[in-house]
Amino acid sequence: MYIITKRKTTKAENNNVQQRIETVGLGLFPSTPPCFAMENSDGAKQGGSEQPDTQRRRQLDRLDREEAFYQFVNNLSEEDYRLMRDNNLLGTPGEITEEELLSRLQQIKDGPEQPNGSENRSEEIGGPESQEEGSNGDSLLDWLNTVRRTGNTTRSGHRGNQSWRAVSRTNPNSGDFRFSLEINVNRNISEQQARPEEGEQQEGEGEGEGEEPAGPVAEPETPMETAEVVEEPVVEELAVIVEPEPEPPAPQTPPLARPASPRDQAPPPPDPRAEEPPRRGQRRARSRSPEQRRTRARSERSRSPLSLDRPPPRSPEPLPEAVVEGSSRTRQHVVSRQSPAELDAQLGGAATAEPTAAPQEAEPPGGEGWSAARRPPTIMLDLQVRRVRPGEYRQRDSIASRTRSRSQTSNNTFMYESERGGFRRTFSRSERAGVRTYVSTIRIPIRRISDAGLSEATSMALQSMIRQIMTGFGELSYFMDSDSESSDSNRGPNPAPDHGEAFLNPAAAAAAASAAASAGAADGASLDGGEPRTEERGGEGRAPPTAAGREGRLGPRGPTGLEEPGSLPFLRLAHFFLLNDDEDDQPRGLTKEQIDNLSTRNFGENDALKTCSVCITEYAQGNKLRKLPCSHEYHVHCIDRWLSENSTCPICRRAVLVSSNRESVV
Amino acid sequence: MQRNSRLKRELQMLSTEPPPGISCWQTEGQIDDLRAQIVGGENTPYEGGLFSLEIKIPERYPFEPPKMCFLTPIYHPNIDSTGRICLDALKLPPKGAWKPSLNISTVLTSIQLLMAEPNPEDPLMADISFEYKYNKQVYLEKAKRWTEKHAIQRNKGFEEAKENMAEDKLEKALPMCRKREAHNSEERQDDSKKACF
Repeated sequence: MYIITKRKTTKAENNNVQQRIETVGLGLFPSTPPCFAMENSDGAKQGGSEQPDTQRRRQLDRLDREEAFYQFVNNLSEEDYRLMRDNNLLGTPGEITEEELLSRLQQIKDGPEQPNGSENRSEEIGGPESQEEGSNGDSLLDWLNTVRRTGNTTRSGHRGNQSWRAVSRTNPNSGDFRFSLEINVNRNISEQQARPEEGEQQEGEGEGEGEEPAGPVAEPETPMETAEVVEEPVVEELAVIVEPEPEPPAPQTPPLARPASPRDQAPPPPDPRAEEPPRRGQRRARSRSPEQRRTRARSERSRSPLSLDRPPPRSPEPLPEAVVEGSSRTRQHVVSRQSPAELDAQLGGAATAEPTAAPQEAEPPGGEGWSAARRPPTIMLDLQVRRVRPGEYRQRDSIASRTRSRSQTSNNTFMYESERGGFRRTFSRSERAGVRTYVSTIRIPIRRISDAGLSEATSMALQSMIRQIMTGFGELSYFMDSDSESSDSNRGPNPAPDHGEAFLNPAAAAAAASAAASAGAADGASLDGGEPRTEERGGEGRAPPTAAGREGRLGPRGPTGLEEPGSLPFLRLAHFFLLNDDEDDQPRGLTKEQIDNLSTRNFGENDALKTCSVCITEYAQGNKLRKLPCSHEYHVHCIDRWLSENSTCPICRRAVLVSSNRESVV
Repeated sequence: MQRNSRLKRELQMLSTEPPPGISCWQTEGQIDDLRAQIVGGENTPYEGGLFSLEIKIPERYPFEPPKMCFLTPIYHPNIDSTGRICLDALKLPPKGAWKPSLNISTVLTSIQLLMAEPNPEDPLMADISFEYKYNKQVYLEKAKRWTEKHAIQRNKGFEEAKENMAEDKLEKALPMCRKREAHNSEERQDDSKKACF
């Protein structure tokens, strides 16, 4: 097939980042087309002047393939069609040969036996991207890799009066990832935090295993899609659950949740003071690559942006319900409109959770210096990520999962779920929708980056977490930024938004970028409004001079502050925030399940309406048509793609979902 | 690919049965870059003008709306000075009203209608909108002047060029409009010739 390397030179920087990230999917849905388009347009440019023949030939080839594609799709059984669509194996008509489709189908069918296989493969395939990523020097990734290697990692740090502690654990076998972040705010104290590394390995974790949670899936086509990172539909399936409360992870993350929760409960409320210098040393020793540190430092810098004026945290009042609300609040945060009361509530919730939540695993008994006596506001984030295998996912009804997530709201549980399968765009949009509709459910498009394997997943998780923080715990920024002085004086103000993005996971950046991009595409106006805003904010945040509070301490160490790990997320936070805000206007699509619930039939010669109004092509005998509740019919592959991003009939604009729900309910 | 096959069909339809007052064609070798012309409607201040538009077809078309903007300056509440058009059909839902069953032809028709019936309630150009609402006479005059200056003269030039078919004469005939205009007109004329045949 075609191998496209960066061609989108004209596009915004975002795209570059996105491109780097790449995804593997061969999506029936969103991504593929652009790729094609790019290629096409290139061809057109050249062809016009130089090689019209070549171009024509290519178009003819494409037409043939297109025919073959439709033929192939028509002949697919219902299950096979779904299987392929959901796994992004259909690609774009004209782009893929029938043989390839067949082999993919075969592959995917074989896949289920080896649960992990499919995912891994795709990851591995992302070769080109991986390289790019490498160039990116993503420190976060480094860190994540470390995590993977160790299995469990604990970090803590403090800034000014805040101390944080992050514990991450990975289960290489399952690919589950768990990250908990605890933030303590001590107004009176500025102490150093000790950050013990967690020696313990998670149950059954082996380092080697950690690397490749899933079995590799070979996807021959990947290269061609590389160019189009943004559009790529490929999504890793992750379920991320953020639980401020100690409770065991949501049902989705059974593996991790069980083991982790008990430990969580044990730890007392975190107090920064406990941390001892020696720890630091440890930490340092443990410190990951220099890059990492750099990243952190950077992040710190960037953090300043977050220091928007937020109302000071009030005394924590344990109000689980309030917490719940907080989750739904996401949007408000974005607007920074949140009412203090809510904040309190959230804090309270967090505080409540804290005692139990404090990750015990990470800290050795001595190391943990948290004094119960101090009851600074604590924010506890517990994030769990679990890889969902394609097959697995299918079994779950997304509606059900949403419902579940909603019910979990009471626990202030956030669930991030991304599906593997074509709806990449949908993701960003449904994500938005998720924010709006299901507060606690957010869908995140996840891209595969290289063969990093687990790290990939973890990075995604982190990303999700960040998002989560942004949305659900926007207040955190307040804490983090409360002492602006803490920022690095050494670094000086530099950071361009890109910077932050770059250092973050490329994936994250990509996601953000793609989101922005899609928003832009969808609505130029909104794009105009949204992006600038983002930048502004970023600028703001950075602008504030980073003083020395904490830097002073760090000074000796130089730019590579070890304590920063926690800051990473926060930086992101700001970005995501804005992006989320932006995204909100995006249309929302249907889930695969919802689409599948719509009836289909085969075209018969006697039918009255003979043209699909999406592709303006007449139906051919044997074409598979999908009939919407309003009775309008389209090619299955045409309408599915539209519905993956929209929820209305392309002809009459009637809402598809409402009626379909009714039907399905009955 | 869906976009291309659909575009081919659309272009064919546009050439065989174009909507009245509208023409649309493909620029050289670029299937995703189209040009269109809309004739100013009768009894509108745009009467007699020939307004050119640039149409970019996104990769995801028809799942995304085509991007259209005016190349010819036009004085209109819903079209800004850079030619951007405020029209719901050009935006995706939920904000907009684009749907895949629309097509270039229908959108161009909508734009034609928008020219005849501005929507001051959803203005892109606040000043013009205000004028349209509260001082219509002024609006009409200005719009007419703009039409004469940018849309009609160029058109005359075009006619002349057609008669003479000489490149240099064409140059002379070209009015000194905006730079952009002058720049565009050349290629447009070439294109229109093609389209005419």
